[in-house]
Amino acid sequence: MIIYNYVFIGMLLLGALGFALAPLVVVALVAPSKRSREKSSIYECGVLTTGETWIRFRIQYYIYALMFVVFDIETVFLYPWAVAYDGLGLFALIEMVVFLIILSVGLVYAWSKGMLRWV
Amino acid sequence: MTQAILFGVISVLGLITALGTVLARNLVHAALMLVAFFFLVACQFLLLEAEFLAAVQVLVYIGAVAILLMFGIMLTRNILGDDTTTVPKSTRRLSMLIALGVFAVLALGIATQQQGPPGRKPWKELTERPAVGPDDLDRKTPKAQIVNDMAKFVGRDLLTRYVIAFEVAGILLTAALVGAIVIAHQERDDDPATRVLESEAAAADDAAAADAESSRTLLTSSSTR
Amino acid sequence: MNASTGWAAPILLAQQPEIPALDFWLIVKWLLILAIVFFGIFPGIVAYMVWAERKIAARFQDRIGPNRVGPLGLLQPIADALKLITKENIVPATADKVVHIVAPVMILVSAFLVLAVIPFGSGMVAINPPSGALYLIAVSSMSPLGIFLAGWSSRNKYSLLGAMRAVAQLVSYEVPQVLSIVPVILWTGSLSMVAIFDRQVEYGWFIFSPPGLLGFALLTIANIAEVNRAPFDLPEAESEIIAGYHTEYSGMRFGLFFLAEYLSVFGVSCLGTALFLGGGTLPPPFTNALQEYVGTYTTGSFLLTNAIYVPVFMAKVGLYIFFMFWVRATLPRLRVDRLMNFAWKFMVPLSVINVFIAAVWYEFVFRPGQPRYLIGWTVTGAMVIVSVVVMISLYRASDVIEEAEIASRPLPGRGRRPIPTGSTAR
Repeated sequence: MIIYNYVFIGMLLLGALGFALAPLVVVALVAPSKRSREKSSIYECGVLTTGETWIRFRIQYYIYALMFVVFDIETVFLYPWAVAYDGLGLFALIEMVVFLIILSVGLVYAWSKGMLRWV
Repeated sequence: MTQAILFGVISVLGLITALGTVLARNLVHAALMLVAFFFLVACQFLLLEAEFLAAVQVLVYIGAVAILLMFGIMLTRNILGDDTTTVPKSTRRLSMLIALGVFAVLALGIATQQQGPPGRKPWKELTERPAVGPDDLDRKTPKAQIVNDMAKFVGRDLLTRYVIAFEVAGILLTAALVGAIVIAHQERDDDPATRVLESEAAAADDAAAADAESSRTLLTSSSTR
Repeated sequence: MNASTGWAAPILLAQQPEIPALDFWLIVKWLLILAIVFFGIFPGIVAYMVWAERKIAARFQDRIGPNRVGPLGLLQPIADALKLITKENIVPATADKVVHIVAPVMILVSAFLVLAVIPFGSGMVAINPPSGALYLIAVSSMSPLGIFLAGWSSRNKYSLLGAMRAVAQLVSYEVPQVLSIVPVILWTGSLSMVAIFDRQVEYGWFIFSPPGLLGFALLTIANIAEVNRAPFDLPEAESEIIAGYHTEYSGMRFGLFFLAEYLSVFGVSCLGTALFLGGGTLPPPFTNALQEYVGTYTTGSFLLTNAIYVPVFMAKVGLYIFFMFWVRATLPRLRVDRLMNFAWKFMVPLSVINVFIAAVWYEFVFRPGQPRYLIGWTVTGAMVIVSVVVMISLYRASDVIEEAEIASRPLPGRGRRPIPTGSTAR
């Protein structure tokens, strides 16, 4: 059955987890461990941390993530269309052009409003 | 038998991660539990032999929505998302009661169906797996062929039978994007950092003008000396 | 609904018929593949890729590179591994201990999972699900989340800033990476990687067509950006933001990031090779020379064809990786705003246009009984050239407008002019 392929994925996942955690176990056994206050503090080029660990994040990051979500979903629609392209006629191509134009309107709007600019 | 065990394990893990999402104190931990829940939902799709849907679930939810969620947390909370969110005790019991009520309605409604959708058996009498019966290992039935090549049939249906829904989905996505950009545009214009920048720039212009004034008077005074 | 059936139906599971059990020997075969290939050969390739990078980068910079540890420095990766294991494991006291470990593990697992569907030869693929390509991009989309968690869990504001920038970059370049694969899927009519390989055996490498060439170029640029390599390595640039998201990771935890990065380099090189360069097939005149052996899966033909396909595949992957090393040694780092503009304003529109050029190519070459190459090449070639030229001029125009606007914005300070930002339009 096709789904049995994913049993291999499960095995690979567990194996990769083990492969990643094994060196950490070895380190816990082998490496020295002399903790001190300076070593356990946050690294800031050797200077002590001043102020709270708080940054005002710009909305730019959120805009990029949002555009990625929209284009990701566009991809999810494009893949089945590409697979089924052979059996469909010209009408399907036109429909996909319409869909992509609708989504490009969003991209062009963001571009023209300067939202794709990393201020 | 193993299938029932797998289903049981994945469901229990799903419940635990869902509860973890709701009960976690740290927001980013809650988001991480939600990511684990998305992964378990993808595993459920695999149990139902819908591997296209499982891949789409991982791609869209873990790849895109989880990141959007994390950025949203960073944007609206401070101290690295360490804000704890606890529900006040007075409403806790009421909300648990409501949630249990919704669950009871859904579960009993599904489990005690007398008639399924037209032309199909009710849920508790369904015995067909989508692709494979004991005699169908070679995927000869049309249903088996569909399930084992889901992308092609999804594409075909999306562009012939459900094309209006498809285009409307595109419009919906664009509307969401444009709406978010409009809000973000205003917020960027209201950004106090920009205002500070502009007022500082105005002060700098004044200072520069004053400087130019004073240096010019110095020059003229020194040249006349 | 009456209460008796409501109460007497406590089963909330639908009935399931029995499905055939998994073959025992298949599980043994999979375990062997895992143990030998995935956790033996691939980490070995990755370790020696690190050695190769150091040697090659050294030669580009007119020096020798590691040559002390073993002949030609060949034992250097082993020395590095031992060093990383024996270093003290320093974790900040305020860091989130669990997430601190989850983050590099997540990235490493995602890098391993990519390699499960790549066809290294004919029939030499670990598994072949019908939606292999979609599985591949789904799995590789988990790594930005791991990077964000790495930066967040360190409780270091610079790590978090570096992580957010890294995630913004990865997420922006994932769109062209995914969109440039659509032409390949259109031509194949299936999401299975083995079907893509078979289609290239029949029709020649996909890169030998204008939309294929454009798609390959876009995929390569996006691949380099996705694995955070120069010139897109702002997230881990040492001179910029200390070390970005892996500042607070020392010793073997950093080793995990390092391993994950190089494993991803190997993974995306295999991806580019399998999708556009024809997998293990020989260059054009001989592409389907072994076709009559490919169809019959007897042991002799299997060994014979793979004895040729696997080394050719590895040679192509090696060339792809060498190209990535070459680019790293040659180009300077991109500035962050240029990096993001390049993704959204140039690569994404071009990838979308490429999908249509690919549909046109399909109509000329794949759909008719006799592929009509000449007219296909002229029409799609013209379309590719026109769209690339249009996109470059649009991008340059928007760049000039943007820089003019930035230059005209008043800066605080004593009315000094802003530093010219390096545009060539002077």
